[in-house]
Formats: sequence, structure tokens, C-alpha cells
Amino acid sequence: MVTKEPTVLEEKKLDTVTLTIDGKKVEAANGATVLEAALDAGIYIPTLCYAPDLKPYGACRLCIVEIEGMRGLVTSCTTRATDGMVVHTETPRVSQSRRTTMELIMANHQGDCLTCAKNQQCELQKIARYLGIEQEHFDRLRKSTRVLPIDTSHPAFNRDPNKCILCAKCVRACHEIACVGAIDLAFRGYDAKVSTFGDKPILESICESCGECIEHCPTGALVPKKVKQAASEVKTVCPYCGVGCSIYLGTRGNKIVSVRGDKESPVNKGGLCVKGRFGFDFVEHPDRLTMPLVRKDGRAKDVKVNGNLRDVFREASWDEALDLVAEKLSAIKEEHGPDSIGVLSSAKFTNEENYLVQKFARAVLGTNNVDHCARLCHASTVVAALAAFGDGAMSNSIADFAKADLLLVIGSNTTECHPIIGRTVRQSVKFNGAKLIVADPRSTELSKLADVHLRHRPGTDVALLNAIMHVIIDEELHEKRFIEERTEGFQELAATVRRYTPEMAEEITGVSKSDIVQAARLFAGAGKAAILYGMGITQHTTGTDNVKSVANLLMLTGNMGREGTGFSPLRGQNNVQGACDMGALPNVFPGYQRVDNPDARLKFESAWGCSLYDKPGLPVTEMMGAVSQGKMKAMYVVGENPMMSEPYLAHVKKAMSKLEFLVVQDVFPTETAVLADVILPAAAFAEKNGTFTNTERRIQKLNKAVEPPGEARPDWRIVSDLANKMGHPFDYESAQDVMEEIASLTPIYGGIHYDRLDNYGLQWPCVDRLDPGTPILHEGKFTRGLGKFHAVEYQPPAESVSEDYPLILTTGRVLEHWHTGSMSRRSEVLNTLNPGGSVDIHPNDALKMGIVDGDLLSIASERGKIETPVRITDETAPGLAFMAFHWRESPVNALTNDALDPAAKIPEFKVTAVKAVLAVLDRAAQDNEFFARLAANPVEALKEYDLTAEEKAAILSGDVRRIEKWAGKLDERLKTWLVARLQQESW
Amino acid sequence: MSAKGNGNGTSDGQRTVLICQGTGCTSSNSEQIRVALEAEVERAGLADVKVDFTGCHGFCQQGPIVVVEPEGTFYTHVQLEDAEEIVRSHLVEGKPVERLFYRDPVTDEAIARYSDVVFYKKQKRLILRNCGHINPENIDSYISVGGYEALNKVLSSMSPEQVIDEVKKSGLRGRGGAGFSTGQKWEFCYRAPGNEKYMICNADEGDPGAFMDRSIMEGDPNTVLEGMIIAAYAIGASEGYIYCRAEYPLAIKRLYIAIEQAEERGFLGKDILGSGFNFAVHVKEGAGAFVCGEETALMASIEGKRGMPRPRPPFPAQSGLWEKPTNINNVKTLASIPVIIGQGAEWYSSIGTDKSKGTAVFALTGKVANSGLVEVPMGMPLREIIFDIGGGIPDGKRFKAVQTGGPSGGCLPASFLDSPVEYESLAAAGSIMGSGGMVVLDEDTCMVDVAKYFLSFTQLESCGKCIPCRWGTKQMLDILEDIANGKGQIEDIDLLIELGEAVKAGSLCGLGQTAPNPVLSTIRYFRDEYESHIKWLHCPAAVCKGLVKAPCSHTCPAGVDVPRYIRLIAEKRYDEAVAVIRERIPFPSVCGYVCFHPCETKCRRGQIDEPIAIRALKRFAADHARTDGLGELRVAPPSGKRAAIIGSGPAGLTAAYYLAKIGGHEVTVFEALPEEGGMLRAGIPRYRLPEEVLDAEIDVIRKVGVEIRTNTRVESLDMLREQGYDAIFLAVGAHAGVKMGVAGEEISEVVDCVSLLRDVSLGKKVKLGEKVAVVGGGNAAIDASRTARRLGAKEVTILYRRSRDEMPAAKEEVEEAMEEGVDMQFLVAPKRIWRQNGHVRMECIRMELGKTDSSGRRRPEPVADSEFDRAFDTIIAAVGQAPQIPGEMGLAIDKRGTLHVDLDTLATDVEGVFAGGDVVSGPASVIEAIAAGRQAAISIDKYLGGSGVIDEVLAQPEEPQAPPEMEEEEERGRPEMQSLPPGERTKDFSVVECGFTEAEAIEEARRCLKCDLEEE
Repeated sequence: MVTKEPTVLEEKKLDTVTLTIDGKKVEAANGATVLEAALDAGIYIPTLCYAPDLKPYGACRLCIVEIEGMRGLVTSCTTRATDGMVVHTETPRVSQSRRTTMELIMANHQGDCLTCAKNQQCELQKIARYLGIEQEHFDRLRKSTRVLPIDTSHPAFNRDPNKCILCAKCVRACHEIACVGAIDLAFRGYDAKVSTFGDKPILESICESCGECIEHCPTGALVPKKVKQAASEVKTVCPYCGVGCSIYLGTRGNKIVSVRGDKESPVNKGGLCVKGRFGFDFVEHPDRLTMPLVRKDGRAKDVKVNGNLRDVFREASWDEALDLVAEKLSAIKEEHGPDSIGVLSSAKFTNEENYLVQKFARAVLGTNNVDHCARLCHASTVVAALAAFGDGAMSNSIADFAKADLLLVIGSNTTECHPIIGRTVRQSVKFNGAKLIVADPRSTELSKLADVHLRHRPGTDVALLNAIMHVIIDEELHEKRFIEERTEGFQELAATVRRYTPEMAEEITGVSKSDIVQAARLFAGAGKAAILYGMGITQHTTGTDNVKSVANLLMLTGNMGREGTGFSPLRGQNNVQGACDMGALPNVFPGYQRVDNPDARLKFESAWGCSLYDKPGLPVTEMMGAVSQGKMKAMYVVGENPMMSEPYLAHVKKAMSKLEFLVVQDVFPTETAVLADVILPAAAFAEKNGTFTNTERRIQKLNKAVEPPGEARPDWRIVSDLANKMGHPFDYESAQDVMEEIASLTPIYGGIHYDRLDNYGLQWPCVDRLDPGTPILHEGKFTRGLGKFHAVEYQPPAESVSEDYPLILTTGRVLEHWHTGSMSRRSEVLNTLNPGGSVDIHPNDALKMGIVDGDLLSIASERGKIETPVRITDETAPGLAFMAFHWRESPVNALTNDALDPAAKIPEFKVTAVKAVLAVLDRAAQDNEFFARLAANPVEALKEYDLTAEEKAAILSGDVRRIEKWAGKLDERLKTWLVARLQQESW
Repeated sequence: MSAKGNGNGTSDGQRTVLICQGTGCTSSNSEQIRVALEAEVERAGLADVKVDFTGCHGFCQQGPIVVVEPEGTFYTHVQLEDAEEIVRSHLVEGKPVERLFYRDPVTDEAIARYSDVVFYKKQKRLILRNCGHINPENIDSYISVGGYEALNKVLSSMSPEQVIDEVKKSGLRGRGGAGFSTGQKWEFCYRAPGNEKYMICNADEGDPGAFMDRSIMEGDPNTVLEGMIIAAYAIGASEGYIYCRAEYPLAIKRLYIAIEQAEERGFLGKDILGSGFNFAVHVKEGAGAFVCGEETALMASIEGKRGMPRPRPPFPAQSGLWEKPTNINNVKTLASIPVIIGQGAEWYSSIGTDKSKGTAVFALTGKVANSGLVEVPMGMPLREIIFDIGGGIPDGKRFKAVQTGGPSGGCLPASFLDSPVEYESLAAAGSIMGSGGMVVLDEDTCMVDVAKYFLSFTQLESCGKCIPCRWGTKQMLDILEDIANGKGQIEDIDLLIELGEAVKAGSLCGLGQTAPNPVLSTIRYFRDEYESHIKWLHCPAAVCKGLVKAPCSHTCPAGVDVPRYIRLIAEKRYDEAVAVIRERIPFPSVCGYVCFHPCETKCRRGQIDEPIAIRALKRFAADHARTDGLGELRVAPPSGKRAAIIGSGPAGLTAAYYLAKIGGHEVTVFEALPEEGGMLRAGIPRYRLPEEVLDAEIDVIRKVGVEIRTNTRVESLDMLREQGYDAIFLAVGAHAGVKMGVAGEEISEVVDCVSLLRDVSLGKKVKLGEKVAVVGGGNAAIDASRTARRLGAKEVTILYRRSRDEMPAAKEEVEEAMEEGVDMQFLVAPKRIWRQNGHVRMECIRMELGKTDSSGRRRPEPVADSEFDRAFDTIIAAVGQAPQIPGEMGLAIDKRGTLHVDLDTLATDVEGVFAGGDVVSGPASVIEAIAAGRQAAISIDKYLGGSGVIDEVLAQPEEPQAPPEMEEEEERGRPEMQSLPPGERTKDFSVVECGFTEAEAIEEARRCLKCDLEEE
């Protein structure tokens, strides 16, 4: 093999360099490539494999130039521009070489441009035209006759290798941007191609369907299945998770035809996940509500969501529906007092709408009974962070994850729940050398990348974090100066964690003490460390304590108030931060101004022209109890779906059904809506204006792209109309009007005005027009002054395993779906990629239960029972089951525990004691003693059973036919299960 | 070999039997042979004999190899059953087993001792110094020959800078192929900032046929480790990798053993030899991708990524493995290091050339007698490697080209045989040193095929990253396939060059930058072969399957369907056999007697035993046919056109025959001599071609309506035109003898060969003296010498200025001449001739062979002061023949004195005038003249308005036959043809060869492999 040898390059330390390209003096940033320098200077150099967001690759050989003093033709994309360089981009040699290369590509390129989805947008076409490839010249070459099969397995896009030019942009995007590596180049020579592992269809690969490959493909090799050119584009914000990716929606007619990430956005830098890329067709789903609906007289409140709505509801005009609502609510308020009404706002709609909903509750209804689903996800964060730091939000920016030396991810399956942040973590670890510690009972994509994976038992976070802090203090690795100058309560913390030795923690958490020590040293040794966490921390009866422990660890190591460090609760819903900011909480006005603070109340009373109640209202988790007790008579649910999202659904349903009057305002007939008396059709995210605040406190503008269907209206308009009907004028012409009012009343939003949000939005606190916003909180000083350590003791979860319920069930989400699935389950691509739920069971447990992958299981807790197929995987731990909560067919919240964190009132979704048995066994157990015993305790020895001689003989012989004689006809699966079970028995 | 001995304890009268256990010998059961030897030694109770094994000797062709030390007896092709004899006869009785000795391919002499084998004698083994001499699985064996002394010296007395300096001073250049200064490379890495650095040994030897790295690792793994540790110390690396392809299991096994033993001895690991220096080595097994020999791809592969090169800069020395400074050296480079440190840079740099120091290892393969690993000082001419060490080309074939540098290298023709082997010279010639592949190609190699072979390898091995490499090589390969299949366009050659240059210029790594070399160099040096494939659908080496059905008929200038008539002979259908021959030539019988049968040289049967005796079979068929093969005489209706043919030799008569018979033209042949036949009559002696045979065939030509006017010399073309000839074919041959160019040759005792033979043939009385000298080495010289013997000369001596190998005369005729008592003096040239005492004296000078000339033969050069003189009665000058073309014809004549024509049409510059045969080509063969006659007939027929199609069906078309079964053919040569006893021959001009008997002919015909029926 021939190799060339190095020459030593002298590198000058300059900010910019000046070079000459085609006789023109060009200035370029130091470190820029010749290609970048040329492109910046407006000098076009053709290239097929260069992309600004990918590393230089140097494969297509089209960007070659001649550089004086350098031998041969040099690829400009891999050559750094240096001072004084003289570059020629269009010499005869260069042109000749480019043309030969292009001719070679074209001789091997199959397909008819006219029918190609990329026609007019194809880089190959563009360059061929630019180089003036002549037919005659090109005809000299042998044309490829090879036809490779097209991979059409993916619901969203096709892969046509015949149009592939092997620029490897897709591969590099998959490796460098998505950090997934689902595709790579495989085979050699002419047979080289982009391939999945084992050359299987892409759908069977580890592809996460983020579509970065399609986005980067210069030809028609990777194209969406449904391609329509957009007539115009609107920049707006993705409505899925709290990352808040900036997107461009392409529209044509009144339809969304394309989506692309906003490359300029500091949040997603053009990136999107599968939901953002392929999940917006729900907007046009036929299930959309288009007219106000009023329950027909006498219809019971138990219809299934997929039943025919028209059987239960009748259409009504807006006037009629709003009049009815206004009248009913007024009457109930009149009769039972304002607190007999509860209002649920939504983390899915805009700041303006949240503001109006809480204003409606407080000013029109006169109650503080307003809450939203933040209660179910980050209530504990808000409580604990306010206590520790004085602000209940993420302290730093998403961009900081790329700057950290170490990331601790605890209780967060980031790559699935916050894919774009997950991607940043992966990039930091893979390319920036960042260390990664993952604490999670399950194995996740990130844990596979981690330096240390702390696989602790669910609900033992405090013990784990205390032990880590124990080691840090014990080994004197804590930031003494930071602690002294900026915090209080260290001594108490130190005293408490002293008892949490690694040995003790190992006992509680199941994590080996050496891993704990290693993690502690790694964390304390990092110059800049950030902690990312999610619901694994918050959804516990000790959620507040858990978050406090996270705060403790950060302050102990001085990782607050600096770039690349910080406290990072990853907010779940697109606008959960905004909904909290807007005061859709029972205890605070917008901007966390407490309702029991007289000054604040006075301010809002004078602004809203009414008197306001000074007692905090009920959180959503307590509203259900109030309904059950008959204290709450009516509810106005705006964009929430408690019938899926609340724990102990049987209880919720009972309560909701008991309500005297229920109004649900939503875009789809949700599980909750079907229990309503009146359903109000709302506009979806693409159909309205407003703002969302993402997890990093960035307020971004939502812009209307299409008109709502039928008579659906934006929520802010509906709430305003209702307020007007109820005699309290809400006089807003637009969402912008609402924001002006918000800014005037909410100091942290004081500088938020629509005209300032057009680019990348602003991060609060932003107190006035001149304030550029705050990417990093607590710089120099905590919002509350000194940071406060809270000495926290470990408390076990509310529920633990028992003989009857031997498994712990924990819940979460999957990549393709979102929350209660009302949107994502109605997206064709997302639902095709992941059409239904399953429960994850560890192979050891599966072996014990005698079940195989795909078996239908019956999962029961003390509170309910569901049936779902099983996925056997060691991603979960022995004794631990996992289920996502998106599936209406098998709603896991039928099982979950409604035990609450005492301070934050957040339920303990993450720890539920359950039993899982084969569904057919469970059904057989309903009316058969023998199977009931088996189902109750499948591992119990059969000889312990009290059986007749005939029964015993049948079982002993393993003859299913004889067993059926006394047990009744058995299901086929139950037969095979039973035979296997009997074989295990040792008599 | 080191002064310390061979590592196998030669003291105390102990003897050692060493059996090679390299991959090659092991595959021939050498492990079992070792066990058998051990058992025999034990049985014989030989306490002082130790049986041990070694790595590869590099002469695998001769394996399994057994060496007995200390006497150095070299046994080759040892089989299991030989163990007993070696022990009993050699070790017990002291009688070495001669039948197992190596036999020199040139002298056929049995050679007892290793050190006397020419293959080894001319080598200088530094890198391979221990291979074959020590036990590679025993570190003590290495230590006993001075192993790890260099490491000890480095660690105890040298700083890294001093080591780098020493290596720089040695002039060592990277043996991986690019030849960058090793010391400088180390220095870059040493100077690169960073504490974590890596040292990599590139053992990913991927060239097909190359096995030098493998042999070193198998034969002397510790030397690689030692070199690597020294390099690591110099650059400051504490961790290293040996990247070795997984296809080398034995090398990997021995590396692991060496690493383990080196760790045990403290040469590897922590605090090496108490110096504080730490170094750990890992072996990384590669999956056999050629491109992973490229250093950046290799590092990607170690990192667990797909082995693909990345752009440089940054260079590995700055950012290599895991983005840390990294130094990569080839196995051979590293194996040189202990020698350089041990013997010193000054000593090392005294070996080799100015710019290329030390030795180079080659895997010498291909058409060469001794193939194997060869280590020579840099700068040794290719010729010495190929002809001395390699023992030349086997089977008497002619050298055609040598391909160096593996699949990325180029093919160099004979004119480069004297080029020194070193980086710069090879690069200048369009090839590369590469990692040391050297494939010798002979005349049976098709250069298009060679280019295709190498390109198909690199094309398959391209990683696919760069478009020019991935698709350019495929495009080039497609074009080569087309050319090889007869579907090429003449423009394709330039397109190949254009694409080749584009691939070279446009590719990122060495693979693409060199992949076109085999194509570009073969076009550069063998363009005519490409053109032949494209223009004539002719593969000169008869290799390309798409063009060649049967190599014999493909090679026949006239394209006679050989296999078909041979099948007919086997079936005793002689008339039809002759008809088949007649379909392409009008001289079946003549050719059966005198054709120089190029067909036989390419006969595939020759690869099994001997080629089919095609000419003899043809003669047999012609002799035994009862008809002339024409069947019912069919002559085309008159075309009304007239053609004049000047010269009645084979070219003229062939053209005349076809123009008359198939074209229907009125043809007149003008012959200056009294008898027709040209050289057939006037040049070829009767003992080769009897007059009646010739007459019979000329009669057939007359029969189709050709008029032959003898004794008619044509001086002017205008005259013919005036006579109404529409076209003229000039086929006057080359009947003028060429002067020797020595003083005194004008005297009457000096006669020219052509005149002599002509006079004899035409029945003139010719008187020669008793002592006759013939000067020259061609067929004419042989004819003259044998004719002289028949005319009564007692002593006939041929003087030829080159050696016998370069003699252009047909081998069998040379032999027959010698049988007839003709003496041959080689490397002798005449200088001066004078009369003295009734005799003629000729002063001669001895010659020696010097540099290669354009014909690929070595140029004879006079040896100073070697003159001698001898007396003769007659001197026959047979140094060449030239055409005589009347100047008044006004035709263009080229430098060689031949006529200038358009080779595609044989048209001269003058309208309607064509020329062919010897007058155009210079003296050539009968069959070539016939081919020229055919070509002329085609062109002239077209010129006269005909179709130009002259092929005719005379024999019944063959029933479709099943392809021959591919079974193992038993070896059986051709039958010895009876000929007159030498004593009888010189009495008169009777035909020497008696021809086959029917039984012999049928037997011989059945040996034909029927290649033409093979399925593609």
C-alpha cells in the first residue's frame, strides 16, 4: 500500500486569514477550509459531499482546486485556508477533473430526472448543469446496467440505492448528528453502498427515523414517501416535547406539506426527531373536532372514545354552546361557591392561552383551583428548585450540554423523550470527550454510552445521590469555596450524608459501591458538570427530596451559575414551562407571584379589575378527591386528558363521571372529552399564533400556518368569548395583545414583546425591552440569594413488592409517541412505526413466568388491570417491568399509584407493585380454582395443591386432554404454557 | 547470517535437522515430516542430532525444505517417506541424499549446499537474516543470534534523539512502498506534542502474491518486535499495535508467542530492561481489506470503524490513532532496525544506492524459474533479480515485462531490465517499489489481460469513498473488458488514459492514486497490444477468452481453423481436413512442410506436456489427401476488372488466388525469375520443401484462372496501368542480401546467402570450398549452412554475434543443422576479411551481451582485445535480406528499406497500388506472407468494387459438438517424427523429415484438447 508522508505544517495563531481565490482577496476565519472561505466570499465551488454541519470528508472530489505551492489537485473541503494562500478554482485541469468525475457519477446514476422527487432540487443536476456536461462526451462511457432493489420498508421514506452517489452525507449525518449509526458504508469497490447492519431493510435497523439522512441527501436516493413542494413556509415551533425545536412548516392550499428544522435555531440547529419530522399529519386527522358538541339528554358518561360521538353528542353553534357553558358555570358558582369549580389548563397550548385560562379561573370564576399537567411531571422540580435556588426552572441552556466535561443523566431516557437534547449528549460524549454517568434502573441508549451506569432500584435516588455526596465529602472533593461563599446548610447536609456510606447505598439501591465511588470521583473531578433529569426523579412520593438531592450535588461541586454546568430538569410538554410561568398553578399568579402575597394580589386585582382570592387552590391530583367528596361540582378542562394521564384511572373516571358539569376544550375527542357535557373544538398548534416557552426558558413564537378545520377556534379566543359571555370582558384582538398584558404584569416576562421574538426568542428572566434575556441563571448569585442545601433522608417508595404483586412497574415514554397519544397516535407515520403498547419484562422473569416475546399479559395492581403484549428485553432489570403511558388500549395509569409527594402533590407514577400473568391464564383463573392458584403464584409447587386423584393423574401425565375434562376447554396458548409448566414440575 | 551462529547450537559436534514450518511448507505436511524425522532420529539413537523447525526460507516452490546443519545441506521437496532415508543415509551413514538436492534450473546441476544455490548466492539477506535459520517460536533461538542486543544498546546507552539520528543517518526509507525517510517520520512523531502516542506496525500485507511480511512474522517475529520497541522508545509511545490480516493465522500465532516470551524476558511491558521505559503491544487482526494497508484506513480499522482513508493533513504523526500522534512502519522497515542499530548507520548506508539505502525484499513470482522471496541490495538491476536469482524464464519463453509494486504498480518492458531497483528509477519508469511484489511476465502474457487482472483487484478493494476511485476504476475495467472481448473502440485507449489520470489525480489515498498504474504502464509500453485487440480482434498472446476460441487458430496469421482439421485427421477424413485448411490458405501442403507454426507455441496442450505437432499433422493431411481440397471448382463470374501482381511468392500467389477465384477478377502475376514461387522456390531448400509439393499447389492457383508470367521483370507501374490493370499488388519480397559491413567482404569468396540459396534452388551449379563460414543466426543462415553441407563442404561454421538464446532461427532447425555437423560459434562477430595463401581469412572478435536493446534482447558488445582469425574457403553472409524496389515506381520507402503502406489496407501512397509480404514487413515467414496476401486480396477486391469477403466454405460444416470434458489429461508427449539419419541427409537434397505414419498422426490428433469447443 502506498502512503504519503507528512509535512510539518506551521500554524499561525490568527483570528482570520487572508488568502487569494481566483485573484480575489478573501478573508476567512482561522480554521475555515478553503471551500468555506470561497463560499463565504461568493465564489462557487461545486461539491456533493460537503455539508456545513458535517465533518470534512473529501470523497466526491468535485471541490478540487489548485493551490500554488501544493502538489496536484487539492480538495478544498479538507484543506485549511492559510494566510497568503493562492487558490485557483477554475483551471483547465480542475475543470477537466470535475467533468470526468461528474461523468462517472452520471454514468452510474439511474433514474429519470422528470419523475424523480428531487428534480429541480437535486445537487447532482445542479452541478451537471454548472459544469456543462456534454452528452457527446458523456456517451463515451459505459453506462451502468445494475439495478438495485429499493428499500421501501419505512413508512415515511424510501431508499433508492440506484440514485445514491455515495457522498455518505446520510451516513455521516446518522453518525455525527444523530449519533445513531443505523447506516454505514458497506461492501467494497463498485459494490460499496449505504447499508444497515446486515443489509436489512431500514425499518429493521436501529434507525430512529429522525430523517437527518433525508435532509442531507443531495439526490433522490433518500426521499420522503409523500413529497409535495411547499408553496410557502412559516417558521414556528414544534408542538411535541419541551425541547422546543424551531421548524419551518411548508404549506400548500390549507395543508401542511413539509417540515424542516430551522438551521439557525440555537435549540435544534436544524435537527428534528421522528415526531418533529414526520408527526404533523395529526393536524389533518379526520378525528379533529370541528363543531361545538353538546351531550344529548340522558346519555351516560361512559362512551368509549372511538365510539360514534354523534350517538352521544349533538352539534351546536358556538353561541349555543358557550351560552350553555356560561350559564351552567355561573349557576354552579352561584350555588356552590367559586371553589366548586376546577379548571385544568394545558402545557400543550400557548403562554397567552394559559394566561387567559388562569385569569378566567381567578378573575371570572373567582377560584385558584387552576392547575395543569405540570403537576404530574415537574411539580416536584418547581417546589424543590424554588427552595434550593429561588427559581423553578432549568438553570442553563441546551447549548451548554455541549460545553460540559461531564453529564450526569438521572431518571431520564433522554434520547427517546427529548431526542434533540439526547443527541447533544451523544455528540458531547462521542466527539467532545465528555464523560457520561447514567443513573437509571433501565438500560437506555445513553447508558450504553456511559462511563458508569448506575442501575439503581426505582425510588432509591436519594440514597444513591447521598452516597455519591458522601464519597465526595469523604474524599474532600467538594468545592469548599463555592459552598462557603454561595450556599447555606452545608453542615446539615454533611451530617446527613455521612451516614450514607457506599455500602449502605449498595444495600438500598443495588448499585455496587465501587460504581458509586467511581461515579462520585468522576463527577467531582469534572471541571464543568451538568445534571439532566426527568420524570425518573420527579414522579415519586419523594420527588421533591429527589430534586433537592440533585440540587445538593450540584452546589456541593460548584456546578451552578457557570457555562457548561447546571440544573437541568427536562420539561416534558412543549409548553409546560410556559404554563407554569403563566400561573396555571393553584398557588401562584403569572411569574410565580404567590396568590397569598398581598402586593401581588393587589397588582393583579387592579389590572384585571376584580377582587382575587388569597388562598391557593387545589392541585389537579387533589381535585379528583374533591369531586369524589362532592366538594367540586364542575370542571373546565382545556387541552388536558386526565383520563389517560392521571394515576389510578378507575378513580379518576369515577370522579369525572360524577361531575355535575364538565366542559372539555380540545382538538380531539380525548378519553376525557367523551365524559364531557360540552366539547369545544380548539385550533391546533399550526392554526394559531402565540408563544411557547421551552425547557431552557426560551420564549419562542408560534406562527399560524393553516386555518383551523370547520369552526374550531384558538383556545385564547374561546376562553375570551366565554369570559365575555360570563360578563367579564376579555378584550383581546390577538395573542399579541395578551402577551403585552403578560409582559406588563410578569416581571420575568417584562421584556417579552412579539417584535423581539422573530429570531430565536428570548430566555427569561427578561425584565424589559433592553434585557437580552438570561441564558444562565444564578450567575454570581442565586435567585434566592444563597443556595440552600437540604439535608434529605431516604424514604422508600409508597408501594413495594409483595407476594401478590411481585414486580415493580415503572412507566415512561417511547420515542415515537408523546404523552397520552392524542396527537402522535393520530400520526400515520408515528403510529405505523410504533403501533401499540407492550410491557417490557426481563428475560429472567419471563422464564419464571413461562412466557415468550409477544405473549399477551394481564398486568394488575391493587388499583386495576390491563392486558398488553410483552416485549422480553434485558433493557429492564429483573423484577422490573416497564410500560409507556401512550396506549389507550392498555392505559398503564389504570395501575399506577396515586400516592402523592406531600409537598408537590405529584403522584408516584414510577413505582407500582404489579403482578403479570399470561392473559389467557388470568382469564381462565376467573372461574377455575386450579388456574386461579396457578395465576396467583405460578411458581408454587403443584404438589402443594389440594387436588383430586383424577386431577392429579391428569396433571402427572401432562395430558392436556384429560386436564380439559375437569378444567374445561383451554386456549391453545394456555395449553402450550401448561405443558411447559408441568414439565418443570418435580413431583 | 549473524556472526554468532545460526541459533541452533552448532557447538559440540551437535548436528541439527531444520525443517521449514512456514505457511507454504506446513501446507505440504512439514509438521508431520518433522515428527517423522524426530522419530527416525530417536530410533537411530542419534543423541547428538536435534530436530527443530524454522520459519520460511522464501523458496517455497522447493518446499518442504530441510536443512542439515552445520554442513548446510539443502534438501528440497522433502516428502514424509524421505525422513527415514535422510536420517539413515545422511546422519547415520554420512551419505547425503543426492536425489533431494536442489537442481539448478539453468545448469540442471544438483547442488548440495544452501550457500551454493544461486537463488541465495546473489541475495543479501538483512531483513530476512534469520528466516529459515532460527526457531521462530523460541525467543532463545533469536537471542542466540544476537537478538535484542540492539534494544539493550538503545535502552542502556542512547537517547530517543540519538536513536532517531542513527536511523536518519542510515538512510532507511519506509519499506511499505512510499519510501519516506523512516528517521524523519519518527522525528515528526517524537516532536508532536502529547504524552499519549502510538506505535503501529503495518502488517496488513494485501498485495496478491506478496508474502514477505508474513514470512518475516512467521520466521522471525522477535525482530519485528525488537524494531517496534526501539521505534516506540524513539517516538515516546507506550502502546503499540501490530495490524495483521487474519488470513495469516500462523504469523499471528507466532507474534503472540513472541510477545508472551518477550514479556517474560522483560523486553516488553513495564520498565523494559530496567530502563523505566514501558511498552505494550497488541495484535489487531484485520479482516483482509487491501485498503487497510493505507495508514489512515488502518487506524480507522483499529478504532473499530470501517477501514476507510481520511484526508491528510493532519498526518498520523500529528493526529493518528484515537487522534493521538502515531507512527506507522511496515514490517520490513521495523525488521531492518535491529540491524541498523546493531551494525551502525554507516555500515547500513554503505549498502544500496545513493538515494535508496539497504536492501529490498521482493516476492518474485510469475514466469520465472525460481519464485520466492528475494532480498537484494537496493539498486540491483531487474535483470539480475529475474535472470540470475530468478533463473530466467522457464520453458524457453521470452521475457515480456515485469510488474513491480503489487496491483498498484506498473508493467515494465524488457528495455528496463537494466534499470536499478530503487524508489526513484521505478517511479520514473511508471511503476513503483510498492511493498515488493515482482511478477515476471513472459510472451504468453497478454498485457490487456494483465492490466485487467490488477485493476479488477484494486477495483474490488476500493473502499468506495472517492468517486474517481470507486467508479473510475470500474469504468476502466468495463472498458478493458470490452477491449478483451473485442468490443473496444480505438478511442477507448485514450479514454483509458484520461480516466486513469483522473483517478490518479482525483483520489484521496494511495489505492486510487496508483490503481491505474497497471493500465497506464501497459498502454505506455504495449499500446500495440491494445490496438491489436481493438483493430484486429487479435490477442497476440492468445489469452483473452472473449477473442480467442482456440489459441492455435488465433495465433495463426491466416487464422486457419486448426482444431477442426485436427479432429478430421483423428477421424481419418484427410480430404476434409485439407479443405478446412484451404478455407483460409491456398498452400496447405507447403505450410505442412515449412510453416514455422506459431500456433504450436500457444497450444494449451503444451502446458500439460508438449504442444500438438500441428504442422506435422497438416503435412500428414496434405500428403494423404486424395484431392486438393477444393472440391468442385467454383470460380466467381468475371468482374471485368484486372489486377496485376508483381511477384509470385506466397503473398503474391495468395492474393492472386483469392482475387481470381472469389473476386472474379482477371489476374496476371509477373515473376522476374524463371520459375514461379518466389522465396518458396528460391529461398527454401529442397530438403525442406520438395519441388513437386510446391508445383502441385501452384497448379491449383493456375486452375482458378491466374496467369503467371515468369522471367518478366516489372520496372514501372505506369506500364502496367497502360496495359489496363485496375489494381496492382506489389509483392516482390526481400531478395537482396544485406552486407555484413566489414572490410574485404566484396571478394568473390564471400557470397550472399540469398543468392546462394536461389542459385541452388534454380539448379545453377554452385561451388563452395571445403571450409565454409556462415555469418548470421537466422533461418537463412541455418539453410545456408545445411545447404553448404549438402554441396560438399566438410567444415561448416556458423558465427553468430549473440548467444544461442537470442538466435532467431527455429530451434528444431538449429538442432538439425548441428546433427548434420554444422559447428556453431556464438558471441563472435566478423571484423575483417582478406585472402591469404589461397584461403580466405576472417578476423573475428568475441562479443559479450550488454544492455538490453529495443527488441528486448541484450545488445552484443565487442570484448576488447579478443580478436582472432580463422581461415575459410567460402564465407556466406546471412545477416539479413532487404527488398529491391525499383526507384522508378515512385513509392515511399521507410527507414528499414521496406515499402511504406497503410497497415490496415496495405495501400501504398499511390492510388490503386497495394503492397505486402516481405517487401513491407522485411523478411518474415511463409504464413505471414500468406496472411498479407489475404489482406491484400480483401483490400484490392474492395478497391475493385467487390465485397472484400474472401472466406469460403469448402468443408462440410461441423456438427455441433459437446464441450470437451474437463478431465485430468495424462501426460504423453508428441510422437518422435522419423527423419533421415544425419549421415544420409547431407548426401543430397532429399526431404529430411519423413512425416507421421497414419497411426502416429491419429494418435497425435487425439491429444488435441479441443479448446475451441470449451464453453465460455
